[in-house]
Amino acid sequence: MSKLKVAFFDFACCEGCQLQVYNLEEEILDLLEIVEPVEWREAMSDQSDDYDVAIIEGSITRVEDEEHLKAIRKNAKTLIALGACATIGGINKIKNNFEMQDVRKYVYGKDANMPHLDTYPTKAVNEVVKTDYMVHGCPINIKEFSYIVRSLAIGKEPKIPNYPVCVECKMKENVCRFEYGEICLGPIIRAGCDAKCPSNGMWCFGCRGLVDDPNVNAAKDVMAEYGKTLDDLLGKMLLFGNKQEY
Amino acid sequence: MCKCDSEKDIYLPLPATVGKVKSMTKLESFFSCQLDSGEELGHMPGQFVEVSIPGIGEAPISVSSSPTRKGSFEMVIRNVGNVSEALHKLAAGDKLFIRGPFGTSFPVDEAMKGKDIIFVCGGIGIVPVRSAIQYVLDNRDDYGRVIILFGAKTPSDRLFIEELDKWREEKNVTFLETVDHRDESWSGPEGVITTLLPLVKIDKENTIAVACGPPIMYKFVIIVLLEAGLREDQIYLSLERRMKCGVGKCGHCQINNIYVCQDGPVFNFSDITDIKEAL
Amino acid sequence: MKIKKLDKAAFGKWVNSCIENQRVYGVQAKEDRFVFAPLVSAKDLRLDHDVTILPPKKYFLPPQETLLKFDRKEGFESVFDDEPFVLFGVHPYDMVAISQTDKLFAENHYDTHYFKRRQKATIVASDVQNASKDVFAGCMGTATVNDGFDILITKIDSYYLVDIRTKKGRALAKTIKDAEDADDMSLKLRKLVWADNTELLQKHKLHVRPEVLPRVLDRSYEHPVWEENAQRCYSCGSCNLVCPTCYCFDVRDDVEWNLQKGRRYRVWDGCLLAEFAAVAGGHNFRRNRADRYRHRYYRKGKYVPEKIGEVACVGCGRCITACTAKIANPVEVYNKLVDEGK
Repeated sequence: MSKLKVAFFDFACCEGCQLQVYNLEEEILDLLEIVEPVEWREAMSDQSDDYDVAIIEGSITRVEDEEHLKAIRKNAKTLIALGACATIGGINKIKNNFEMQDVRKYVYGKDANMPHLDTYPTKAVNEVVKTDYMVHGCPINIKEFSYIVRSLAIGKEPKIPNYPVCVECKMKENVCRFEYGEICLGPIIRAGCDAKCPSNGMWCFGCRGLVDDPNVNAAKDVMAEYGKTLDDLLGKMLLFGNKQEY
Repeated sequence: MCKCDSEKDIYLPLPATVGKVKSMTKLESFFSCQLDSGEELGHMPGQFVEVSIPGIGEAPISVSSSPTRKGSFEMVIRNVGNVSEALHKLAAGDKLFIRGPFGTSFPVDEAMKGKDIIFVCGGIGIVPVRSAIQYVLDNRDDYGRVIILFGAKTPSDRLFIEELDKWREEKNVTFLETVDHRDESWSGPEGVITTLLPLVKIDKENTIAVACGPPIMYKFVIIVLLEAGLREDQIYLSLERRMKCGVGKCGHCQINNIYVCQDGPVFNFSDITDIKEAL
Repeated sequence: MKIKKLDKAAFGKWVNSCIENQRVYGVQAKEDRFVFAPLVSAKDLRLDHDVTILPPKKYFLPPQETLLKFDRKEGFESVFDDEPFVLFGVHPYDMVAISQTDKLFAENHYDTHYFKRRQKATIVASDVQNASKDVFAGCMGTATVNDGFDILITKIDSYYLVDIRTKKGRALAKTIKDAEDADDMSLKLRKLVWADNTELLQKHKLHVRPEVLPRVLDRSYEHPVWEENAQRCYSCGSCNLVCPTCYCFDVRDDVEWNLQKGRRYRVWDGCLLAEFAAVAGGHNFRRNRADRYRHRYYRKGKYVPEKIGEVACVGCGRCITACTAKIANPVEVYNKLVDEGK
């Protein structure tokens, strides 16, 4: 069987999700048995336009990035968004709550108007081009990434959970964060992370984005039940939940 | 606790080999298969099997051939999911894996014996019913009149084209066919399948109806059959659900109190009139 | 073998002797709650627990369980797990749930994967010492239990009664076979514990006998409670997953990196989850939250009882605690149907 030619590209992000791929450690050799990276800036110096699968890390924040991404889409048979910045806009979307001019000033001070620092409201990859698969999370769950790659290699549509984090959290037998009076985003956020944060004593931050049909009305009522307000909930969603459709 | 010390694994699929593959429509392909053990599948018309492609998964598939036709069994698979897509890549000689047969069957040896039979098949609904049609035709003397009604969405969605022609020419069979939407290749009737029912004479005391099609078809076909004077218990139908384990454990195919993989897929209509989620 | 009476020290010694010889799981503290976990010392065993987060079903039907291994060319091979183990501290309501799951996994098609483990398990049940905040086993007839277990422990004052019932139980108890037999007084006291527990384990009170539930549900299919409560349902499946009598599962395949070998495994699933009744091609036979919500209460109160003659709710109250939206209290739901029908 011929190997899948894969190219990694990164836009606005910390490149931490690609780093997770190196964290496969010895398994990375297994990965390289079935894929042939042709472009992977973090790992190699080659560049190429000849690939089957484009893996996009990061969100789109500039006009030229948008053009670049569209060109990648044309080249790729399959396009995968890697990590929260790419799948939901991630932390980068915090800035969409403000005027772009204010954001620029805040970050760059007197250089705010330099042309190369131009920026527009953050977009997730699928807000710019058709996205075939999403590897959610900040960072990605490397087990899920591996499963997705192997599934594609044998011609199978990988199944990404469309149920809340609670499912995996219960399987881990964690004490529910709500029992500690915390607001946890688990009930409305897509599982697939093995409930990593609740399993380590934190509430769910929502990095994998909402399930397809989150019950936002329920969330409002439930906040009241716990003596919290909707603003408390939205506050928890500021990190990853900005400007998501629901 | 049950102490039956069974080593048998109800989840273990057995190897089978593809004999013949034929594309039937854009979405559907025909497969004839044989168990590698050399044994017959041992099914009755209307039953289904769980078909596995290792690594891809397992899917419930109706058996489309009659047990009267020995040597192999046949399936028609619509390409709508991971397993069916992988099946569509198979060629003669390739392996697939089978559990079953599972579920209930059309009462070809019981209630249908000696009766007039009217088969009402909508689209892919002909796939499980074909098994019963073949069974009845292979034991033709055991039944009264045989009426086959078939409706496809468009002429290019018709399945078993050659067999349809054979049934049409069969002296002992009344065969009527329609399409929902006609095109230039089609000179036959146009309209939904219920438009065929008034064209046949039904001996209401002595007829068993066997229906299979999409959920929406049942609503209308049942009304028409009841209007024609059939009682609820003279109607049999086959339901589709997510029959994941096939053995009544996993819960996915449950409709109210009924497990489709155990109590179905073939139901007597009178048994499910109170089952709210059924139709 | 009779009923033995052990003081605290002798009891601890016995538990430790069990741990030395085999795989033992027992109830232990996890943060502010309790869980079944591998037991390394008798001092970690918390028979005073109120309820565990997950029921002991996780040992018979693990959250994820390999059923088969496969080679994509060669086909499938069964994988069984039949290493013996001991469970310490199973509460009566959970024991009833295990016996019920036994019936359901045996009927029609015998699930060898389940029973290989089940038959190798020695269950040490334990009468409840502290009621959890949501338990209602008292109204479900499951505050005490008389069969299914191999050994039943009842704490009375400062000693333990160890009631040994089966061959597996006798094997586990062989180091205490010479211990003092329970006297009549302790047996009387044990009866008092049982009577007390039936009263105490009723933090919520069902207004009818559980046997009546199928009839109540017969006339409640269109009741507004399904829609009302479902409006607050996250479809998170927490009620399913913590339920000792829920056993639905999904089956999945995964290949190894060599793309040839792999495994087929089952994972817990729940009828409240959005895609539970979806078929290939996308049609979802239970698309509405309210339909899924209702299905759970019908399954517990009607469908399973009609099949095996037992209500599929043992009153452990875990669903009540686990539901962040506070809509999963079966007693509240059933009482609503009962009271409005009066």
